[in-house]
Amino acid sequence: MNNHPDLARRRLLATGSGALAVAGLTGVSRVTAQTPQTAPAAAASQKPLPPYIAWKDADALIVHTPTTVETKRTALGTGAITPAERLYIRNNIAAPDVSIVANRDAWQLSVEGVRQPRTLSVAELKTLGLETVAMVLQCSGNGRGYFPSKPNGTKWQVGAAGNLIWSGVPLRAVVESLGGPTAGMRFITGTGGEAVPAGIDPKTVIVERSVPITALGDALLAWEMNGAPVPHAHGGPLRLIVPGYSGVNHIKYIKRLALTRDETDAAIQATRYRLAPLGTKENPSQPAVWEMDPKSWINYPAPDVGPVKRGWVQIHGVAMGGTQAPRKVDVSLDGGTTWREASFIGPNMGRYAWRPFVLQADLKPGAYMMASRVTDSQGRVQVETTPDNTGGYLNSGWRAHAFTVNVA
Amino acid sequence: MVCVIASAGATDDAGRQVFLKDATPSCAICHTLAEAGATGKIGPSLDELKPDAPRVVQAVKAGIGAMPPYPQLSESQIQAIASYVARASGGAAK
Repeated sequence: MNNHPDLARRRLLATGSGALAVAGLTGVSRVTAQTPQTAPAAAASQKPLPPYIAWKDADALIVHTPTTVETKRTALGTGAITPAERLYIRNNIAAPDVSIVANRDAWQLSVEGVRQPRTLSVAELKTLGLETVAMVLQCSGNGRGYFPSKPNGTKWQVGAAGNLIWSGVPLRAVVESLGGPTAGMRFITGTGGEAVPAGIDPKTVIVERSVPITALGDALLAWEMNGAPVPHAHGGPLRLIVPGYSGVNHIKYIKRLALTRDETDAAIQATRYRLAPLGTKENPSQPAVWEMDPKSWINYPAPDVGPVKRGWVQIHGVAMGGTQAPRKVDVSLDGGTTWREASFIGPNMGRYAWRPFVLQADLKPGAYMMASRVTDSQGRVQVETTPDNTGGYLNSGWRAHAFTVNVA
Repeated sequence: MVCVIASAGATDDAGRQVFLKDATPSCAICHTLAEAGATGKIGPSLDELKPDAPRVVQAVKAGIGAMPPYPQLSESQIQAIASYVARASGGAAK
């Protein structure tokens, strides 16, 4: 009765611009044998994995704190997809108990701001549609460690990011099945299932984010990541996926999805994750940390790797457009004075994914300042420098990500 | 009166008082710190995090992540809680 007649056909067509077939995406390469991580993280890497992610690949990770764990640059690989065992962790507050994934299909989501609001189980959501999207999941603070002002927060380098395959129901199909949005709604507001203890104002810590309703086009409610149930540590049983947006916007263990007239006034939306000019406090008048920008970086050779042997070197890294597919990547070996076009390696997985790239170079002994710079399909070029901001968010500048490699 | 240089024990008492009672909301609602009998779970366990004193000062003054700043605490209260948390969690020994 609430189903639009063309809905089933639409599901079959999978019209989302990020949709893709995953057949053939196998064989994730490993490059861990090459180098240790960079110096600033060396001390942190000595910490053991916390028990809730004991299943991860400790050799691939840098443990900053029990809730902030970064993938080593050398473990990002050339296989295009980031294995769950290597994927970074960043939790704003403690996760709900792991028992919530004992019966995944029973997890309940309240959908509001639609004509027929109601609560649906994951089992019900699975009847409404299915789509798969490859998407870069990148912490809003990835690259914070390269801002000159040294903003507070984890000093992520490049490894608070991964490229992952998500499967779930298109959010637009859920909204349509519930009669469509109520009039005047401008945002999609998701609320995480974390329990907030008595005695503190929930608004100060609740994980609740709003994104523009235009994101309805490609957003998913995902129960699979890389072909397996979404791990609890990454938001299972159900995670909101907003392709092209930074990590904080993909609400884990989502329990409420509301179309809303206004942005939530939760602190995580109002006074955090804002692009505040340096020296000012974050507030709702400033741009929210939402869509990601074109960004690329080199993973090999890594900074601080001992001298690289002269001769042919396969310089490789990853490149993303943020919201548009990467079209080309240039690599500089002289700090940005001259550039050479690199080659993409591996499949094109759409506008929200990253692509590994390689530049083969015959290097003579000397010091090389290496940098990469991506151009997306719309001609947007990765910026040279992202201005410092109070929170240290969305650092995409190629110069900040450049480093010196010695060849002997 | 004899002027007594504050011992670690006396400082700990003052810091524990700020941690459990003077700070509003209480640090113990969100954080675990065995020495204080605190078992909060929503924020990082301080026994695991083991922050040093400057890190505690920074967090209390400016807030960090989901934790709001505590502008109502005095400088001496902040110094007391920072040295206490650093010592009680093991962060001071790092």
